[in-house]
Amino acid sequence: MTQVTIAKAEAPAAAPRRAVRRLDHRTRSRITAWMLGGITLLFLLYQWLPILTLGLLSFSGPTGGTTFPMNGVSLHWYRELWDASIMNDFKPPLARSFLLALACSATTVVLAVMAAQAVRGRFRGNGLFFYLLLLGIMAPGILVGFGFALLMRLMGIELSWDTTAFVTHVTWTLPFGFLTMLAVFNRFDARLEEAALTLGASRLTTFRRVTLPIVLPGVMGAGLFGFSLSYDEYPRSLFTTGADLTLPLAVMAQLDRQLTPELYAIGTTTTAFSFIAIGIFTFAFWVLRRRVQARKP
Amino acid sequence: MSTIRPGSPTSYWLAVPAAAWMLAAVVVPTLLLLWVSFWGGRAFSTASPLTFDNYIRFFSNGAYLGLVLSTFGQAALLMAITGTLGYSIAYFLVVKLQSARWRTALFLAFVIPFWTSTLIRAIAWVPFLGVNGVINQALIFLGLTSAPIEAFLYSMAGITMAQVSLYTMLAAGPVVYMLNTIPPALREAAMTLKATPFTVWRRIIFPLTLPGVVIGQVLVFLNVMADFATVATIGGNKHALLGNLVLNFYEGSQLRFASVVAVLLMVCMLAGVALALRVVDIRKLGA
Amino acid sequence: MPEGPLLTQLDLELRGIRKRYGSFTAVDGVSLEVGKGQFVCLLGPSGCGKTTTLRCIAGLEEPDDGDILIGGREVTGDPPWKRDIAMMFQDFALFPHMSVAKQIGFGLEMQGRPRAEIEARVREVLASFEILPLADRRPASLSGGQKQRVALARAMVTEPRILLLDEPIGALDYSLRETVMLELKLLQQRSGISFIWVTHDQNEAFSLGDLVVVMNHARIEQQGPPEEILARPRTPFVAGFVQGNNVFRGKAGAIEAGLLRIVTEVGEFLVPAGAHTAAPGALVSFSVRAERIIDQPDAAVRNRVTGRCTAVEFFGAVRRHVLELADGSLLKYDQFGALAPRFVTGQVVDLGWRAEDAVLHAP
Repeated sequence: MTQVTIAKAEAPAAAPRRAVRRLDHRTRSRITAWMLGGITLLFLLYQWLPILTLGLLSFSGPTGGTTFPMNGVSLHWYRELWDASIMNDFKPPLARSFLLALACSATTVVLAVMAAQAVRGRFRGNGLFFYLLLLGIMAPGILVGFGFALLMRLMGIELSWDTTAFVTHVTWTLPFGFLTMLAVFNRFDARLEEAALTLGASRLTTFRRVTLPIVLPGVMGAGLFGFSLSYDEYPRSLFTTGADLTLPLAVMAQLDRQLTPELYAIGTTTTAFSFIAIGIFTFAFWVLRRRVQARKP
Repeated sequence: MSTIRPGSPTSYWLAVPAAAWMLAAVVVPTLLLLWVSFWGGRAFSTASPLTFDNYIRFFSNGAYLGLVLSTFGQAALLMAITGTLGYSIAYFLVVKLQSARWRTALFLAFVIPFWTSTLIRAIAWVPFLGVNGVINQALIFLGLTSAPIEAFLYSMAGITMAQVSLYTMLAAGPVVYMLNTIPPALREAAMTLKATPFTVWRRIIFPLTLPGVVIGQVLVFLNVMADFATVATIGGNKHALLGNLVLNFYEGSQLRFASVVAVLLMVCMLAGVALALRVVDIRKLGA
Repeated sequence: MPEGPLLTQLDLELRGIRKRYGSFTAVDGVSLEVGKGQFVCLLGPSGCGKTTTLRCIAGLEEPDDGDILIGGREVTGDPPWKRDIAMMFQDFALFPHMSVAKQIGFGLEMQGRPRAEIEARVREVLASFEILPLADRRPASLSGGQKQRVALARAMVTEPRILLLDEPIGALDYSLRETVMLELKLLQQRSGISFIWVTHDQNEAFSLGDLVVVMNHARIEQQGPPEEILARPRTPFVAGFVQGNNVFRGKAGAIEAGLLRIVTEVGEFLVPAGAHTAAPGALVSFSVRAERIIDQPDAAVRNRVTGRCTAVEFFGAVRRHVLELADGSLLKYDQFGALAPRFVTGQVVDLGWRAEDAVLHAP
């Protein structure tokens, strides 16, 4: 009983002392957080400001230059882009890039799922196979592009966006899709497959009916990699595309000729296009994941 | 037991298309570059005799050697800046930021540009850096300078600024991944063993994120070493790194020289990767 | 701050600890006193607030309200590294990049001890925990039992005033637990360090604790020596949570000669009233331990029920008979010793218990 009384008498005296001490380590931790947070926000600003400025300047008036002031707000440069002459018409390159990206996306998905499933099979030499695929990320585009162009030249094969460029693009997109699928399969609960197998499903059926639906969100991720990396690819395209340019090549060619707000307009358009692609894939990813999770219980 | 039997022929066949593709389009071309770089004689053909002439001529040119050094210098500079920045950002996002909603929002803001065109992002720096560019306009407006500074566009400073914005994500990403794999209990255990927050970071968190740091540094190193597009966009034709030299020789139809530089680039990069692989196992990160 | 002799004797004192996460109250006014070198077990179902209480003591969580005193010193706002505690984590939280020896020396290093002393002390501890051969191994290559030893050695080497243990043997194989428990009890007694042991396993709590604290819904339901909690559960929750209790609910009647009459669905019973003050007609509950049930009661046994035997179980040294009463509730009747079953399933029998063997719960 006596202890309780002492405790009660002491409580108010203890409170302010605690407040002083608490300030000490908490403030220090908060200062670190604010400093790192400041760095993060400043960097985000630094990263986004040019992109946003590019977007803003693309809407400048007909007399606007490549920097501020904008001399009015207009869609002049977008109209210019639309009515372009043959010399700087971005529409065909855009179409090529889009088709190429779709093809790369599909190829990446198929090959990446096969490759990741193969690695799950732990065949002899799968370690080497892993590094072989990783080489596609590690080897710089300029080397792959140049080397492949040289090879085509020696073999007498004509360079073209839909053949040679496609081949080099996939060497770039496939490893990303492969790593994505490896990560997905790593988190995949193989007991689900075992359950299906013990219920009498064949391996192929199990893969089609159990494995694939569950890893489908990851497959979408691999597809997004395939699409967006190919759509924006520059160094490999530079060496292997031939006469009909893809969009990044056309943009760079225009930059070499002259820097006009028209270039900002095309930059803004492709960036917006990338955002839309990400949006669509993210939405599909989200829907698929919800469907898988809803089925779980 | 799974849908694939370990070591079965099926797993070989599944691996064949991807392996063949990478062999034909990455390994063979790279070996070809190596071969071509030794070609001598007058005609450019597979019958050329093999010599060291191309290398000797390359290395006897001081300007080219300087270019090798400045490329390494640029890579080291970028590794230092993006490494520090990237770690700070990753640490803030994963450890310090309490609100899950803000974490997602800031993380997306950080990552989304990575999914857009690097080329366009590099071009976006051009209106910023020019003599009448946004930076100069801002500096004059703030009264920090009276006349525009010409040091940004067509300069290494401008190239560096753009590269920092392009490659910090590469340095931060693997660190974010590694930080996420550290159980909170480890940090707490260290604290109950009387380690102060800085000591916890130095002795526990940093060593455990080291593989991520190394991977990030490798990615930045590889990208900067081979970057010619940013250099061309912002540096005009006034500045060049090894990558630009490859392109110059290629466009000038000096294919053997281009191959020499490409091989040199490859050797530098392989050395960098090999060094990093001695420190960490990349497979752990991919998995 | 007046530090009376009573206060300095306490290793730990909690005064009205409260902790909320948003609208969820994790700990609601927990007060506790731990004397020098005591073995305290925080027992309760998952989510009852026992782990949060432990984390508040460690300084890993800061309570919204209340005070924490360690060794008589106010530490409520202090970070973990300024408290005289060590902690053993549920999954051991061993540092994956450090060898066992480095791991155990870490706490000493943090105290700034000289290198030679650390090395000597680590070897000593490794030897006493019989893990000397593991000194250079990494945690990933250790078995569960080995990890547990390393984690314990890492926490104890710093000789804290209090060792906090969060389900420390929950991750071990069942067969290992009994040995480890005995070792830990001996270790605690020899070291004189107070142990605060969080568990949901009542066997652990009752066989180890000098003091058992039963928690439920963020509050302490009852604290006391294990015998007391077993013999005299204070609340229906404790009676139901602790194995071997038969809990009855009913309406209070009159008190005659210190015995409270309680009317239930299965009959009227007399229970020692103690300090009971509730009005007649109030809902009350009481419990009787299964081993206090009497088979074929004589006239002196005033509390009687009739039930049909539905199951006879046998575990350890106890034979348990489960009987279904008139209202469908189940009554447990335990007999010690490897005797033959008293009745067969389906048999209808009369059972009873002495009034003084029933325990009235707090309202």
